[in-house]
Amino acid sequence: MRPEIREYPFDWMLHRSLHIACNSFKGSSKEYQRMLEYMPYFRGLMDLLSKHDETGVLFLEMIKEIIDDIYFAHDQGKKICMTTFCFSPIILHAMDVVPVVMEPLTVLPSILWKRGTYDFMNYCCEAGLSETSCSSQRGALGAYLAGLCNPVDFIVFDSGGVCDTNANVFAFSASFLNKPLFQLDYPASFLDEKTQKYQRDDYRALIAFLEEQTGNTLNLNQLKKSLEETHQQDLLLSQIEELQMLKPNPMPPIFNLFIYAGRFLCTSKPAYTRMLESMLASIQKNADQGKTGLLSGKEKCRAFFCYIDHYSADARLWNFLDQKGVSHIGSILSRYFPEHSPYLQDKAKNSGYQIQMQSLDDMIDSLAEINARSPMVKSIRGPYDTPFMWLEDSLAMAEIYQADCMIYSGTPGCRNTWGMVKPFARDTEKNGYPTHIMYSDAFDERVESFETSSLRLEEFFQVRNLL
Amino acid sequence: MNMIKQAAFDLHNPSIEKWKKTGKPVIGYTCSQVPVELFYAGGILPVRLRGVGVQGLDIADAYYGPFICSFPKAILQSMADENLAHLDGAVIADGCDSMRRLDECWRKAGQDYPHMNLPFFHYVNVPRKTVEHARKWFIEEMEKLTQMLESHFSLTISNEKIVNAIRAYNKSRNLVKKLEHLRQSVPSKLLGATSFCFSLAFQSMPPESFQGQLSEFLDNVPVIPENFSAKRILISGSAFDDIHLIQTIEDADAHVVGENVCFGPLHQQDLISEKLDPYDALADHYLLNCPCPRMFGRFDYRLNLLKQTIELTKTDGVIFQNIRFCDLHASENSLLERELEKQGIPCIRLEREYGSETDTGRLRMRIDAFIERLSA
Repeated sequence: MRPEIREYPFDWMLHRSLHIACNSFKGSSKEYQRMLEYMPYFRGLMDLLSKHDETGVLFLEMIKEIIDDIYFAHDQGKKICMTTFCFSPIILHAMDVVPVVMEPLTVLPSILWKRGTYDFMNYCCEAGLSETSCSSQRGALGAYLAGLCNPVDFIVFDSGGVCDTNANVFAFSASFLNKPLFQLDYPASFLDEKTQKYQRDDYRALIAFLEEQTGNTLNLNQLKKSLEETHQQDLLLSQIEELQMLKPNPMPPIFNLFIYAGRFLCTSKPAYTRMLESMLASIQKNADQGKTGLLSGKEKCRAFFCYIDHYSADARLWNFLDQKGVSHIGSILSRYFPEHSPYLQDKAKNSGYQIQMQSLDDMIDSLAEINARSPMVKSIRGPYDTPFMWLEDSLAMAEIYQADCMIYSGTPGCRNTWGMVKPFARDTEKNGYPTHIMYSDAFDERVESFETSSLRLEEFFQVRNLL
Repeated sequence: MNMIKQAAFDLHNPSIEKWKKTGKPVIGYTCSQVPVELFYAGGILPVRLRGVGVQGLDIADAYYGPFICSFPKAILQSMADENLAHLDGAVIADGCDSMRRLDECWRKAGQDYPHMNLPFFHYVNVPRKTVEHARKWFIEEMEKLTQMLESHFSLTISNEKIVNAIRAYNKSRNLVKKLEHLRQSVPSKLLGATSFCFSLAFQSMPPESFQGQLSEFLDNVPVIPENFSAKRILISGSAFDDIHLIQTIEDADAHVVGENVCFGPLHQQDLISEKLDPYDALADHYLLNCPCPRMFGRFDYRLNLLKQTIELTKTDGVIFQNIRFCDLHASENSLLERELEKQGIPCIRLEREYGSETDTGRLRMRIDAFIERLSA
């Protein structure tokens, strides 16, 4: 790693960037315009956020709060847990543990800094992690392996049986940093009694691990409060998801990012509820006026991102979609399957989770069920063409949300989806959805620049007569 | 020895042909977590799936994406090329992400190439941890596999038959142990390439034929010139069945004294209890003792195993190899290298593609340099 990179702690840089970003909305319009001149690399993102008024500000405030938590955790006597986006943080919040979620912490600098997280990604390879491993963790992880952050106290992940490259990163980190490790392991099956029992047994073992690491016992009242807040958030999300079905879709594309960033970092935290309330009001306003959420003002095409989005510097994917008139109707990252979800129809009706709060056991079971439906954990744990898995979920979403096409964006590190995406895409095409496979890396533009990726996307939209 | 070599180098070998002539079925399986004793107890010959001898990956690449390990691709291609036409069924275990997706890619390819459809096709879900509920899950998966085999092939697999099968394979394991003693001696009395042929044949032949061949070999072990200066090399890492690479190493004045890989003898020497309930015994062996990095959080266990092997084989240097896109082994290799180098054991890491002699020139240069380092 270049010596100058080592001069600045990674978490401090994020902490300062977020504080400055939040303050930039507090001045006058003239001051804000002047400030944009000093933001050559994330001006587009800032401008996009400012166009969404209160929701954009609340999003930034929410992220700032979580970064502050990470930066000040040890000063406040809290433990830090390194974890992954597909692990629901409710249990950590309820036990007053600060989660450091690798993937969002890779995305944030990727869209804010010109060089993204390349130096940190490279450092992971210097430390011994394979260069073919997933870039989604490597961005932030490099900083942690290099000791450029408040050190983590322990590691928890839930991608055993779901995604080897993800799980491997955390297992590697535990050995490299000599930290205690816990994994939740998932069978390839879903919903049957045997699987549910396995998941619940495993989740109880997780709680025992957390109690051992923190020296605290799980607090019933705190957990109840966290689950109530989560339930409230789920209800808001369901209303938003219902509105997304409208044609034109009243939800702006970048709200997808807001939804899942909040879910991965702030589920059960009031800051996420506040942002969702503001988001719902804004979408409802568009819906009442029959307006699209696209800034270009006209919805020409509706795209379902069957895997993840693309996180180039300055968040150019969302600006691209806005400009082209492509409505983003969700991805694997933005659906969590609570029982009342508007997309759980017909045979999937009883596959959602319930939040039950009658007893501690009920609550723990609810947490296990929530976690079992996290992005990836639910839909790519088993063969893609079996019930409740990737193909069925994607086709259902595409149908319910009236998609015109599907787009696969991922990372070359994703052994799991690259192992099946070709047959998957053939099946989605057979079902009438033009499908585009992006060969770029959602977190690392060195693999393919966004200029090239967007040209290919544009070509796809044109050739398939979608615009 | 010819039969052993044929079993090591060819997917379809004479002992399989002989077995087929008796009308009994042959099943291919993917990973070292699959309990072969269950098949054998039912009169089915289990054969570890490999892709040895494939000349290209054109059909496999049409189903798998580009960023995938070439080992499962080579298996799929072998099936497409009709090199596995002797199979009556296949069992896919979720050893790793690339391997478990062989399930879908194979099934989908079967829709386009009917000869790839097998009458019996089963997916085994193996947990990635060793706690009690995971062990219970694994036992239930084995029971399910037994039931599927019984129902499909109309046979009975009783506990007694499983114990007999365990006994049969244990006999082979004991013989492998004897064989390994020969190359563990100083200087080695056996070339690594010869010994590794037996390791591969172990997984491609009926145990009785294998035992006959190995016993005969042990009774008349060919004498090799004593070479005290040869450096003693241990190979570790990803799935590895490349005898030519071992020959390349041994051509460079070195002896390969062991292979810590899932095709290697380390995974074949541990005996399975013949006294416990057979499913418990199989779970202990195939899940709890599984040395693959797919079992997350067990790095210390695997490090200790490796250290013990190094001590047993009196290894001078370790060659860690991984197939490109095998992140599990690639990352673990670096951690193991770090620990061993700290203790003064020289190591080298090589990345390669699956397939015999794919990268020979490049690998030979690095191996020569490594052996030079050991000799310095």
